[in-house]
Amino acid sequence: MEPFSVVLSALLLLSAFVLMASKRIHSYIGAFRVQAVLVALNTGLLGLTTVAATGRVDLLVVCAAILALKVWYIPRVLHRTYRAVEYRVEKDFLFNIPTLVLLSLSLVVVVFVAVSRIGAVQDGTTLVLLVDSLSTALVGLFFLISRKKAIGQIVGLLAIENGLFVTALYASNGMPFIVDIGVFIDLVSAVLILGVLVFRIESAFETTDTDAMSDLKG
Amino acid sequence: MKTILYWLLQVAAALLLAPLPIGAIRKVKALVQKRKGAPLLQLYRDLLKLLRKSAVVSDATSWVLRAAPFVVFATSLFAAAMMPATVRVLPDAFPGDLILFFFVLALGRFFLVLSGMDAGSSFGGMGSAREAMISALVEPAMLVGLFAVGLFAKTTSIPGVLAATSALGFPLLQPSLLLVFLALVLVLLAETSRIPVDDPATHLELTMVHEAMVLEDSGRHLALLEYGAALKQYALLALLADVFLPYDPFAAVPGVPGVLLALVAFAVKLLFLSLLVGAVEAATVKLRFFSVPNLAAIAFILSFLGVLQFLIPGR
Amino acid sequence: MELLLWLVPIVALAVLALPLPRRVRHAVSLAETLATAAVATFATWTVLTQGTAAPAMPGNLFYLDAVSVILLDLVALVGLLTSLYTIGYVEEEIRRGSLDPKKVRALYLLIHGFLFTMVLTLTLRNLGGVWIAIEATTLASVFLVGFHNGKAALEAAWKYIILCSVGITLAMIGIVFLNSAAQGVLAEGTSLDWTALFARADSLDGSYLKFAFIFLLIGFGTKAGLAPMHNWLPDAHSQAPSPVSALLSGVLLNAAMYAILRTAAIVNRNLGSSLYTGRLLVGLGVLSVATAAVFLLTQKDYKRLLAYSSIEHMGLAAIGIGLFTPLSLFAAFYHMINHSLTKSLLFLSSGTVLQKTGTREIGRVGGLLKLLPVTGPVFLLGLVAIGGTPPFSLFASELALLTSVFQQKLYVLGAGIALLLALVFAGIIQALFRVFYPRPAAVAAARAGTAPAPAAPLVPGEPNRFGAVAVVVLLALILVTGVFLPSWLTKLIDAAQTILTGQGGG
Repeated sequence: MEPFSVVLSALLLLSAFVLMASKRIHSYIGAFRVQAVLVALNTGLLGLTTVAATGRVDLLVVCAAILALKVWYIPRVLHRTYRAVEYRVEKDFLFNIPTLVLLSLSLVVVVFVAVSRIGAVQDGTTLVLLVDSLSTALVGLFFLISRKKAIGQIVGLLAIENGLFVTALYASNGMPFIVDIGVFIDLVSAVLILGVLVFRIESAFETTDTDAMSDLKG
Repeated sequence: MKTILYWLLQVAAALLLAPLPIGAIRKVKALVQKRKGAPLLQLYRDLLKLLRKSAVVSDATSWVLRAAPFVVFATSLFAAAMMPATVRVLPDAFPGDLILFFFVLALGRFFLVLSGMDAGSSFGGMGSAREAMISALVEPAMLVGLFAVGLFAKTTSIPGVLAATSALGFPLLQPSLLLVFLALVLVLLAETSRIPVDDPATHLELTMVHEAMVLEDSGRHLALLEYGAALKQYALLALLADVFLPYDPFAAVPGVPGVLLALVAFAVKLLFLSLLVGAVEAATVKLRFFSVPNLAAIAFILSFLGVLQFLIPGR
Repeated sequence: MELLLWLVPIVALAVLALPLPRRVRHAVSLAETLATAAVATFATWTVLTQGTAAPAMPGNLFYLDAVSVILLDLVALVGLLTSLYTIGYVEEEIRRGSLDPKKVRALYLLIHGFLFTMVLTLTLRNLGGVWIAIEATTLASVFLVGFHNGKAALEAAWKYIILCSVGITLAMIGIVFLNSAAQGVLAEGTSLDWTALFARADSLDGSYLKFAFIFLLIGFGTKAGLAPMHNWLPDAHSQAPSPVSALLSGVLLNAAMYAILRTAAIVNRNLGSSLYTGRLLVGLGVLSVATAAVFLLTQKDYKRLLAYSSIEHMGLAAIGIGLFTPLSLFAAFYHMINHSLTKSLLFLSSGTVLQKTGTREIGRVGGLLKLLPVTGPVFLLGLVAIGGTPPFSLFASELALLTSVFQQKLYVLGAGIALLLALVFAGIIQALFRVFYPRPAAVAAARAGTAPAPAAPLVPGEPNRFGAVAVVVLLALILVTGVFLPSWLTKLIDAAQTILTGQGGG
């Protein structure tokens, strides 16, 4: 199983970079969906291993939840929101895209340095897995910071969560079951609430550019 | 003796096989677009025809324009010959080297860019400027990618690299090699003037890159330049095929028939990669020129991540 | 019995979801908070006598000890007074036409949902559960922040949910690493249990914990409003309806601090010293106080003024937690209690002020002592108290905190904090003078210039009698705790402090 996990983690990190490099809201959602599929694959793989080893099926349940929510439901909600608002392409970012991508790359290096200072992580494979998944989360965070449109920020939040979930998977074979499920419920409600907010912002500001929201200062 | 045999074999394979992938890519595109397309071997005929014609050279040009076709052809052939078509016969001395491979190709490009500017026509100059910019953007990605491969194999000698990757069984399961593979595919598209970066079929002056540089050349010179381009593409495809798809289904067959079968297998790998490139070309549109840096950045990221994926477990 | 803390709000939420007349809603809301307060009192008594309150239930999710019960009591008390205030507030808003009577149901549902998530945060045994509950507080309160649906309110709500969700997600990274530190040390299923983690803290891997703590601090620190992650706080607190501001500032910040307290205790116990967590916490704390001091000096909106003051006081509490000595922890708890009461007093009375004068601008209010015979003077005294003036309780806790800093021989830090506190005091007193003793010409000009003149001249009188009662009770509380601490409270804080430092059996 291990070589597959390593490849999947590298692809996951790659998907974060693809997300970072994309400009169209449409491709954000697509990249997020691919990322979610990778997360689900990872979970499923680990789930099968644990079933074979201990007979516990909770990871498989979580995997099904990921497929249902992150691969199917949330992208659908996002697409619906996207159709309702007026913009299709993001034009201005914090920096231009190559710069953003190179900065994300340096994030990976920072994560590598930070994680390798955890004395308890001795094993090389675990180190790669942790660096990849944690970098995915931080690149997601950076994505969120660099995008100014509301949907971009939602996708960023979801990407952070993806990276985080896989980190949990690698670091300790997943969290206790109830925590996993609770996190999911929180996540779905967060996305729904954010979706509602986007509609309200759209009608109040006639744009979803969060730069337009700058009345509150000081 | 073995060394001479090896290089003879390599040069012959390169010269014979080089135009094949281009024909295959064109065919794939034509089929996807519901056209019949030119025959698979059309480029061979074109080259033969051009080689028989004498070149017309403008008085306003210098020796650079006349030397460039030969330099380009020679460097591309050398690079192409460095990539083993089969590892059955291996030389005792000087087996070829990844870094050398890279810089030999760079030398050829240097002359190509110069010759584009030599006639002083505006299109040639534009093409050269664009080519120089693209290569400046893409070269870091390629070099870092080759470093990643070299780090993995702990050598940059080409047969050494091949031995290391074929020992893995399925190299693309190694995250670092997988990422480098993706990076090199992007590099290949940019370096061989394929579609997201340049359009090999266009003759619209404002958008061409490679075609603009060779506008001044004709006859035999043009044949050498086109052949050189084909050899360069062959060299890069062979790099991908050798390093990332190191299977030899006929490993058990000994002697000369074994070598021939291995060569056939190699040609099949080249065709497979050409299919891949053709599919990418058919599925994408040409990028705006100012989007090329994004593509190059992605290629660089892939290579660099590949290096990181290799370095991280080893601390 | 303690499980009623969960059952009461659930029942109340179910009842509030039904179509009911408004008066009944008011009654249900008040009854719910009264019942919660009663159960909380009972729980406090249990903790005082038995040390912990962990009734048996499937999964053993419920846990209360002195640390959480202090903050739980605050939730109950502030919740009770706020719901009392809300009755009058809602009626007045409807009378003024700024609240659609149809939205009362949503308002009450959200407020009680919000209260419930805070109770959950403080009563769950499992760190993962606490994380979920804290994220749920954000989700429950985001529509409260954006309740008025104006541009500013929506902007505040967006900032609030994005920043807090990101923060809390980073905290999850910390939890993941805490969990993997516990793998193999703790039994399956208890790997995120506060008590288990704390009891076996010595055998966990320190390097994991250090790494985890940074993320936990950033994450929960965002929610607690520590600078530099504080950006959402002034917006959310000033845009929310005033009773909600009181809850956000008065108790929600404490709930986030609670998570930091517990994790810091675990990490400190593992490392054997508080130096690592201390540096981070004191750094963020001082930065928060400094940031707040700067913004307090130039603030024009009195609700934002109060919000920045919350950042300042959370910074002080963080410094207290960072030092992690018995005295500084005592000071931090005492400070959190005092801040809760004082700040909810101020936000509640500012709500009345806003309803009466219709403006948030400090320079435009004017004449409050006449206009609001009860709330006006209470607001004045509250501002005096929040600046840290004796005899109010915040003075006592700030003094205790400074003492603990000097006791550790951190003279430069102590002097710095004292200087910053003086700046804060200056900012607040300056605002106070502009609110209560404005130059009449300036008020008249401001009123005539930009705002449409009120249809009728403002007549003196309390618009919200329930609210007036609530704020007077709060004023009495901060006056009393300023000069005299009941022995049970001292005992409780001491117990909490002992639990956290692990001295005396833990």
